[in-house]
Amino acid sequence: MPMYQVKPVSGDMEVDLPTCMYKLPSFHASHGSSGSPEHALQNGEVDPAVKALEARQDEIMRKLYELKAAVEGLAKTVTTPDADLDLTVSSSLSSSTTFKGTTDLDALLGKDLGALRDIVINANPAQPPLTLLVLHSLLCQRYRVLSTVHVHSSVTDVPPQLLSCLGPRHADSYARHMFQLGFTLIWKDVPKVQMKFSVQNMCPIEGEANVARFLFKLLAPYPSDPAAATLVDSWLDTAFFQLAEGSAKERAAVLRALNSALGRNPWLSGPEFSLADVACYCCVLQTGSAASTPANVQRWIKSCDNLGHFGPAKRLLQ
Amino acid sequence: MLCVSSCFRATEEEQQAQSKKALKKQQKEAEKAAKKAEKQAKLVSVSFPDRELVRVQDLTPEKADQLIWLRARVHTSRAKGKQCFLVLRQQQFNVQALVAVGDRASKQMVKFAANITKESIIDVEASVRKVEQKIESCSQQDVELHVERIFVISQAEPRLPLQLEDAVRPDGEGEEEGRATVNQDTKLDNRVIDLRTTTSQAIFRLQSGVCQLFRDTLTQKGFVEIQTPKIISAASEGGANVFTVSYFKTSAYLAQSPQLYKQMCICADFDKVFCVGPVFRAEDSNTHRHLTEFVGLDIEMAFNYHYHEVIDSITDTMVQIFKGLRDNFQTEIQTVNKQFPSEPFKFLEPTLRLEYTEGVAMLREAGVEMGDEDDLSTPNEKLLGRLVKEKYDTDFYVLDKYPLAVRPFYTMPDPNNAKYSNSYDMFMRGEEILSGAQRIHDAQLLTERATHHQIDLEKIKSYIDSFRFGAPPHGGGGIGLERVCMLYLGLHNVRQTSMFPRDPKRLTP
Repeated sequence: MPMYQVKPVSGDMEVDLPTCMYKLPSFHASHGSSGSPEHALQNGEVDPAVKALEARQDEIMRKLYELKAAVEGLAKTVTTPDADLDLTVSSSLSSSTTFKGTTDLDALLGKDLGALRDIVINANPAQPPLTLLVLHSLLCQRYRVLSTVHVHSSVTDVPPQLLSCLGPRHADSYARHMFQLGFTLIWKDVPKVQMKFSVQNMCPIEGEANVARFLFKLLAPYPSDPAAATLVDSWLDTAFFQLAEGSAKERAAVLRALNSALGRNPWLSGPEFSLADVACYCCVLQTGSAASTPANVQRWIKSCDNLGHFGPAKRLLQ
Repeated sequence: MLCVSSCFRATEEEQQAQSKKALKKQQKEAEKAAKKAEKQAKLVSVSFPDRELVRVQDLTPEKADQLIWLRARVHTSRAKGKQCFLVLRQQQFNVQALVAVGDRASKQMVKFAANITKESIIDVEASVRKVEQKIESCSQQDVELHVERIFVISQAEPRLPLQLEDAVRPDGEGEEEGRATVNQDTKLDNRVIDLRTTTSQAIFRLQSGVCQLFRDTLTQKGFVEIQTPKIISAASEGGANVFTVSYFKTSAYLAQSPQLYKQMCICADFDKVFCVGPVFRAEDSNTHRHLTEFVGLDIEMAFNYHYHEVIDSITDTMVQIFKGLRDNFQTEIQTVNKQFPSEPFKFLEPTLRLEYTEGVAMLREAGVEMGDEDDLSTPNEKLLGRLVKEKYDTDFYVLDKYPLAVRPFYTMPDPNNAKYSNSYDMFMRGEEILSGAQRIHDAQLLTERATHHQIDLEKIKSYIDSFRFGAPPHGGGGIGLERVCMLYLGLHNVRQTSMFPRDPKRLTP
């Protein structure tokens, strides 16, 4: 790909070279004296400098792509209609929704072996993992994700909305290697949500909460402050164990706790939207009693709605 | 028999006793003659009685106390004093029958029943009786037959080359209990008897189901069934692995695959075709999965924009076959599993499709060293199958975009990457069942590729000619019926799923 040219800044001028240093032959002069650079290519060899340049170029293009994805994510959230939004919330909106902090896929998923890195998630169609669907849509904003849905032979009837829960087929899905990440959802007769990635190096991850933690780390690192990180974790466990699976009494207790926490901060773990909010929102939605929750929780639910990430989860529950 | 010695003045009692014994002897001989006559009568279509025969599988407690007629084979017979226990078998089903001395049966009849050789075909008139304790060893566990009349229709020779109960015994159990099992060669030499076992009956019924589902699914998709010639003039692909037949004054070859003719049908505007027929491969491979003659189920179709349309069609057909077997042939699968236990077959819908580079990456991660353009060796294929099974929990998947260097000359190269091709392989339980691709439909490109592979253009002239007058882009693939059945059931030798197998060492039966 041709790069843009810059006109030479300095013309021919005499330069007083210092004599205290050792001399090297002039890089530019030797190039000119041995003839045009094409000579090297005519011998069938490619100048290693050109190769290095190409590699740098590829790296820059990749970073540009990632930046573009991040900017697009930002643009989406800024243009989301939020007429009912509190002023206190709107200030954190622009910074919180595109999770800050850089993540390196290679560091998290292991060396790139030159092929699609496919994350496999097995879930029971009787209990669709809403949190993971929300995280999936966030991942799609961040990376080029190839999403596929399969039905395992252990289940016979899966409703059509579960088959299309990851959205329409990507136009480039015929070429798997063009994607950075694969997200393969398999509806299977399993007792708990299960995630498999690298069969050699990782054991399977079980439980919706744990898979959510793993996927979240691909979007943004956990808060570096251990207290904040623990807070997020504790909300996550509360959501999955007491809110989703607990008795009516436990659920009421959690809603009260949510209410008081949201009285102090706009989001569950403080001033920023986090994984805790994703998980609690999905679990509250699944209990079906979103309309009868306390005031702060209702306000928080509206704020989450305005972010626009929870579309897939809400569509599934209809 | 009383010996009437020279006794001139026999008493009246003695005379009476003598005549009684003679009478009995006469009776016995009359019975014997009558039985013989009835037996002979059955050998000839003498009369057409209006008699309904009940199937063994329909013998349930609902028929209790009914008097029924039934025709079955004698599976086993065991006499114990005044009783004779028979197990009567009909294909996969068997039932216990009892002949006991009583008002309906004489001692001679019990003896007659006990002496009927195994595998003979008999007619019985019996009443169905419920049993309190389940008869574990039979398929009909809740009832038994109390026999009133018994006739031999077709007698079997007394010495059988193999015992059916031995042929059905799982290998491990035989070793443990010191009982005999029958090895495969003996089974294949006496195939007629071996095929009577419940396991064989189940296997071939399932195989029939596969063929049926294949035809039905494709017909529903708008495919047309074609028949292609098996005597051909030129060896199609390699030339090395074909059988030669003498053809009047010259020689001809037995078709290695219906490839050429499938493609010619596409060029003849049939759009989507399939064919079911024998395939002959003269490969001197004595492995568990090679036969010299097998049944090929082949598909070829024209596509609109991308050869993935072909892959989707083929994989959907395979998934419909698997679903049909899973839903309708569970009895057969369980029967086979009793002798040959295996994991049930798992698959995903839609079928998992991985790219060749992904497969290579998974193998490299597991420690295998191979180049980007190397072909997969059989052990590597098996390992990849295990890795895919562990990650995705499926026994069936497609590997797409093979390197061009390892595919036949008529494979279409990948337009986006010259190192790779638009070709694919499908695997069941880690073993290859289908090798397919998009075919080159341009005569000039085909000539170039053939030349590159150093193939004599004269030999394939008619093949190339078929693409000169407008050929649609097309692709397809073919599976072997026996291999698919073997892998679906988790068996270990393809000869078990071939009725009368042919391999380099076997030409009969």
